[in-house]
Amino acid sequence: MTAEQILFLLTGALILGSALMVVATRKLLHAALWLVAALFGVAILYAILQASFLAVVQVVVYIGAIAILFIFAVMLTRREMRDQGQQTRTNWWIAALLGLLILAGLVFLILAVPGADRLPAALPEGLDTVRALGNALVSPEAYVLPFEVASVLLLAALVGAVYIASVGKKD
Amino acid sequence: MATPAPVAALNLSARFPGSVTADARPGYSGWIVEKGKLLEVTQALRDEFGCDYLSSVTGVDYLPEGKMEVVYQVYKTTGGPGLLVKVQVPRADPVEVPSVVSIYPGAELQEREIWDLFGIQFSGHPDLRRILMWEGFAGHPMRKDWKEAYYEEDGKPFKTRWPEGKHALAESKNPFGDNISYPAGFDPEKWIPEDAEKALYGALARYEVRDEAGLGTDHVIVNMGPQHPSTHGVFRIAVMLDGETVVSLKPVMGYLHRNHEKIGERNTFLMNMPYTDRLDYLSSMSNNFGYALAVEKLMNVRPPERAEYLRVMMAEMTRISNHLMAIGALTNDLGAYFTPMLYALEERELILDIFEAVSGARMMCNYFRFGGVARDLPEGTLQKIKDLFFERLPRRIDEIDRFLTENEIIRARGIGQGVLTAEDAIKYSAAGPLLRASGIPYDVRRAEPYSIYDRFDFEVCVRQNGDIYDRLMIRFDEIRQSLRIIQQAVKQLPEGPVAAVKPAYQVRVPAGEAYGRVEGPKGELGFYVISNGKPSPWRYHVRAPSFINLTAFGPMCTGQKIADVVAVLGSIDIVLGEVDR
Amino acid sequence: MTFASILEWLIKGFVWVMILLGGFAYLTYYERRALARIQVRIGPNRAGPLGLLQPIADAIKLIFKEELMPARADKLLFFLAPIITLTPALVITAVVPFGPEGLNFPLFGRVITWQIADINVGILYIMSIASIAVYGIVLAGWSSNNKYAMLGGLRSTAQMISYELALGLSFVSVIVLADSTRMIDIVEAQKSMWFMVLQPVGMVIFLIATLAEVNRSPFDMPEAEQELAAGYHSEYGGMKFALLFMAEYDKMIAICIIAATIFFGGYREFWFLQNTWFSVDQTPILGPVYVFIKVFILLFGMIWVRATLPRIRYDRLMAFGWKILLPLSLALVFLTATGILLAQEVNPLFMWGIPVVSLAAGFIAILGMYQTLRRKEHARA
Repeated sequence: MTAEQILFLLTGALILGSALMVVATRKLLHAALWLVAALFGVAILYAILQASFLAVVQVVVYIGAIAILFIFAVMLTRREMRDQGQQTRTNWWIAALLGLLILAGLVFLILAVPGADRLPAALPEGLDTVRALGNALVSPEAYVLPFEVASVLLLAALVGAVYIASVGKKD
Repeated sequence: MATPAPVAALNLSARFPGSVTADARPGYSGWIVEKGKLLEVTQALRDEFGCDYLSSVTGVDYLPEGKMEVVYQVYKTTGGPGLLVKVQVPRADPVEVPSVVSIYPGAELQEREIWDLFGIQFSGHPDLRRILMWEGFAGHPMRKDWKEAYYEEDGKPFKTRWPEGKHALAESKNPFGDNISYPAGFDPEKWIPEDAEKALYGALARYEVRDEAGLGTDHVIVNMGPQHPSTHGVFRIAVMLDGETVVSLKPVMGYLHRNHEKIGERNTFLMNMPYTDRLDYLSSMSNNFGYALAVEKLMNVRPPERAEYLRVMMAEMTRISNHLMAIGALTNDLGAYFTPMLYALEERELILDIFEAVSGARMMCNYFRFGGVARDLPEGTLQKIKDLFFERLPRRIDEIDRFLTENEIIRARGIGQGVLTAEDAIKYSAAGPLLRASGIPYDVRRAEPYSIYDRFDFEVCVRQNGDIYDRLMIRFDEIRQSLRIIQQAVKQLPEGPVAAVKPAYQVRVPAGEAYGRVEGPKGELGFYVISNGKPSPWRYHVRAPSFINLTAFGPMCTGQKIADVVAVLGSIDIVLGEVDR
Repeated sequence: MTFASILEWLIKGFVWVMILLGGFAYLTYYERRALARIQVRIGPNRAGPLGLLQPIADAIKLIFKEELMPARADKLLFFLAPIITLTPALVITAVVPFGPEGLNFPLFGRVITWQIADINVGILYIMSIASIAVYGIVLAGWSSNNKYAMLGGLRSTAQMISYELALGLSFVSVIVLADSTRMIDIVEAQKSMWFMVLQPVGMVIFLIATLAEVNRSPFDMPEAEQELAAGYHSEYGGMKFALLFMAEYDKMIAICIIAATIFFGGYREFWFLQNTWFSVDQTPILGPVYVFIKVFILLFGMIWVRATLPRIRYDRLMAFGWKILLPLSLALVFLTATGILLAQEVNPLFMWGIPVVSLAAGFIAILGMYQTLRRKEHARA
């Protein structure tokens, strides 16, 4: 086993462990913090793959913005929600079953990808991954259409959010 | 000069025959109203007689006669002398008087104070709780039959006032710690007055305005203080917040209460003079002035010319130093990190130097005496005053003004925030800069000139918008006017004695009542003194502008952001020594 | 990744953290002296010559202070929060180069650079660390179980998220100008012209946004003394408070270093020293000195602002961030990119269009702000 593999396993354990804690912990804010740990693990995975841009963006967007909004929301709610109440519902087993099914599907999918069982080849020396990624996102041969569609979707969501907020204010 | 003659035109007994009679006791004035007719009479006072400004409400306990009296001082905001209206009720529990809050909302805090200290219940008061004493306090301390737990004597047990051998200190009779007894099972260390908090929060919720649009949200109650850096002392503000917006607000005070008035009634008349310094400890000269005026009215003496000029000069210097402090503290409350404050303090120090030169103390001056002032100006002080008030201060005030008033952040945070409209300002009995910034040109120096203010040429500053920015700016205006008065006074200052009577430890004060009011830096400062011919006043009441201005604090803050609460409080400019007394 | 390289990182990191901690101590001294000068006072002058030992005295006092833990606090988070706050402040400058390549020296067969980590997404690394810096404050506020602290925490969250957008967009202008996200490339791209000249409005936005990011006056909402007592660190005392305090001041230093690097030419010489002996090309050792001088000046700017400006109200602060800074910085990114494209495709002189048009945009923004203020003023009369 190489150092990278050890690192990968450790990171995997971190992600899974903290993901488990997200649903297992009793305190809402702690759950949000475990989520942050899980997201951070994903960023480490990107870093192991030398996808430095994605690693950094993962931190900026998921940890720096989305998770902090979760925490923001948690802090604005009442504190009574903290330590009481049943943690599972009666039909939890359906959810567990569904989760297992999805896991199986994912494993199946990953195994179907050619070369999923091999280590990634080292990137060529001097390759500017950021530039390559940027080019891929905006070049017509590659991903410009999905990229633009996603932008439009986000814009629509943004406009919707503004609308909802402004309607609430006027009444 | 006797007590101010009641306005002849305002003949209340002709308007309400039978239920209103003139107060005929020797040395007294005003009108005695039947209890049942009080609301009707006050309504008529406000609406028909134009006395729209309730300056002061206070109680008097006439223990020997078995009566209690509530005294209302009402004035016209257009100026001129006011009216004294009194209600007498038998001294049998519960003592009850109808509340005038519905007619003069400015009575709210004052009636609470009377309830707290005298135990006079005001029926119809919206929020009658104790205010200066804590909830659960036994008795009403300003009643004459209430004995202080520690000094259980009628007068202070000083050797000079008791025959040799008879004098004994209360402390030696009741060593500290043994003079208090508790009910069985009561531990003062563990006692938490829960009811008080409940009553307070209940009062907050009463004023709640609920916004029903959208999601139901919780309101948070935040207690600012009593330990908080921007409450200017031990003052507590209970705020109910919706997010950061203030839904309702209640000031909670009394943490610095030492029952100044009770002390004043135990002291001799002259002994009270240094005590007045401690009321608004930033403007002691002005406090002295008001008290001296009240007692001089009773004694019927007038200070000599030179003393009058010195008094006016000192009072105006006090105003400048107080306003400098107010400007500094307000900008500090707006978050300017001490810089304007320190620039203002630098100038204030120079004024305090002059106080030190004339009185020997920088803040607790104790400079005024009945019929004059304590000492003349020492040599060289006049030159110092000239240098400071003709040369340095005008320039420095302009400089501070220039730096602060064009600052975009101060404009943004001040303009249109914490507005007190002119009607509200009168309604809530606001006084001083707070009232004038709302567009009411009411200044006691003009409305009812005392001392020699009728000789000076100055303007009554007024600003129209009643927001935080105007309240900041009006202080600059007033400093400039005070400079003008001082400059005139220095030029006209005559030679001569500074005291009309020989200095004495004891003064003889004829029986009667007197209300002396001055335009203090924070507003109308009034002293209501009743003498029964004994060495100590029978009643000694302070109309504290800081305290009464706080009546408008809640309404001014409703709908503002929490950050503005601090700025609004700073713009009212309170001193806790005066609020809690 | 060899043992030697890890050792190198460790040593460099250790040295840099030591410098930052010492810098924190003397930044407090610097701030207090400078503030005192502005406020016609003297400032600390008792401990040691010129009061130079004052920070040490403060540290000793803080160490011996009693540690308090609020009764119903979240114990673990309360303990962790200062650490979480301090860490980003210490690691954020890891990618900043402090000297030119000419200053690198060989040691035990390795070339030692004047940079802890040379990663190709350096500027984005800064962005990401800046975005997680808010956690410590939020957790400190939440775990104290105190309304003031919590309000402070909430305010800081909202404020930092809002101003991060403007901050990130001003980074984008720099990336576009330098055509790289590597810090050393960004510095070298400013060899002939600082980005301060090419994108002056971007620089101003960056400085304003960083003031908000590090909670300095006039954006010191989270700890607004007059409103929230001390905000998120109301309940902290002793060394835990010292850590929070340290984080705040190290953030100041870090942000000034970053500003110096991306807008003021980093370790490059001042423009008027080009092609002289003082140029880092000829005398590489001057590189770190230039960084120090620039940081010193920028820090003074921050102190100056604190001494002279009152605090903006919270809702105004948010409005300013979202309604003015964000659209303006978006416009600037667009303007910068267009300018560069035109310069490449048409005429290099279009490069000068960037500052001109940006200044015009900034002017329009200020005018808009002014108009809204004036309108309010007319409305009241």
